[in-house]
Amino acid sequence: MNPIGLLAFIERHTLILFRVPIQTVFTPLITAVLYIFVFGKIVGERIGDIMGVPYIDFVLPGLVMMNVVMSSFTDTSSGTYFFRFTRSIEELLTAPFSYGEIIIGIVTRGVVRGLLVGTGVYVLALFFTSASIAHLGFFFLYALAVSIIFSLVGVLVGIFSDHFEHLTILNTFLIVPLTFLGGVFNSITMLPESVQPWVRLNPFFYFVDSFRFAMIGVREANTTTGDTIMGTLIVLLAFTVWYLFKKGYKIKI
Amino acid sequence: MNALEIVNFTKRYDNAVAVDNISFSVREGEFFGFLGPNGAGKTTTINCITGISNPSGGSIRIFGHDVVEDYREARKCVGLSPQEFNVDIFESPRALLFYIAGYFGIPRSERKRRVQEVLLKFELLPHADKPFRALSGGLKRRVMIARALIHDPKFLILDEPTAGVDVELRRDLWRYFQEMNKGGKTILLTSHYLEEVERLCDRIAIIHHGKIVAIGDKKDFIGGGKNLEEKYLELTAYKP
Repeated sequence: MNPIGLLAFIERHTLILFRVPIQTVFTPLITAVLYIFVFGKIVGERIGDIMGVPYIDFVLPGLVMMNVVMSSFTDTSSGTYFFRFTRSIEELLTAPFSYGEIIIGIVTRGVVRGLLVGTGVYVLALFFTSASIAHLGFFFLYALAVSIIFSLVGVLVGIFSDHFEHLTILNTFLIVPLTFLGGVFNSITMLPESVQPWVRLNPFFYFVDSFRFAMIGVREANTTTGDTIMGTLIVLLAFTVWYLFKKGYKIKI
Repeated sequence: MNALEIVNFTKRYDNAVAVDNISFSVREGEFFGFLGPNGAGKTTTINCITGISNPSGGSIRIFGHDVVEDYREARKCVGLSPQEFNVDIFESPRALLFYIAGYFGIPRSERKRRVQEVLLKFELLPHADKPFRALSGGLKRRVMIARALIHDPKFLILDEPTAGVDVELRRDLWRYFQEMNKGGKTILLTSHYLEEVERLCDRIAIIHHGKIVAIGDKKDFIGGGKNLEEKYLELTAYKP
């Protein structure tokens, strides 16, 4: 282990977040406030309660999750690509780090950014809703799990991208559609019965549902299935990223 | 013990062989010149020594540590000043050196002293807090060398360290390199300035098309009425 090195890397890498705070923190917060205001307040008041809670409280966990996902993913995808683009990845490769330590360092910043923005959205929501946290421990556990998953996905995208535009492809064509179709704005029971089994195949349904359970105490999915999906994804993604680093795929020359 | 021991090292990219089964060693305390035309395999070899590339075959050891199996110890022994500026261009030299020292396990309290020392040695103090991108070419080059030295490695690799710098700075750098070598550091130098190699190095190897075509003491290359440049052109089969 190289604990001093890892801490130095995490500190250096994380401080970069605050070079551009408008982009990394404030933009998602402002967007989230608009979502909460429009979907929660204006539209929500005409919808009424869902699963025994006001619509805005029902929607908020999904919005928090969306922001954790987007912030973590954007951070590590652009960060990893930047490392490759400037070749500053060589500073890490020539230092006494294991591949695992390099990955931990990169993912940590993604997690920090995800949790920072997620917490910020929650705090801002307090001004518009009766936002609550039913299970604080689960809230942090699920926020951590989801941010790790999407930080690792971001690293993969950062490795495979050959162009700045490639960084947005997965987000635009997969993450955003699956998030919206995963029940951020609606209960699964609001969908036709024939569609519901398909929604249950969408992992984002379980992510949203876990946040909803942690924040408002209600859930529609099976807890074991959701937790298993998250745990499995973390292990599979971490192994894939580690393997690519070991092989040096698009990382080493 | 040899500072560097390369045995049957090969690097392939798909079907192309960049370095073809080479073996050579650099003795501890030596100032070693590693020459060759562009694309001959110098930087590829350096990349595999330092972990930037994976070797396709053979073994590379630094002070007895295998660069693949025992990479942590191997990396601690080496400092690399690369040909390209592979840094975060928005960061200042002070921050850059501080964190790189941390990467090598130097505690926070000692890092500040070490950074100050290196900044002073390379006359970088007045520029220590400017972003890297705002520095002149010569200052950037000095930062690269300072970065390579921040963890006080026993083996220093200088890949084209004087490329693009003015005559005055080049001479200053030569003086630094000679001082460091006298202070006990083993140095491997690549350069297209053969005058520089002739002045600084004890032994020289020439790589061409991925193979070592000559290796020996400096006197072996400059005898018989020929200077290093003439001998080099002969060995690399240059025809005007």
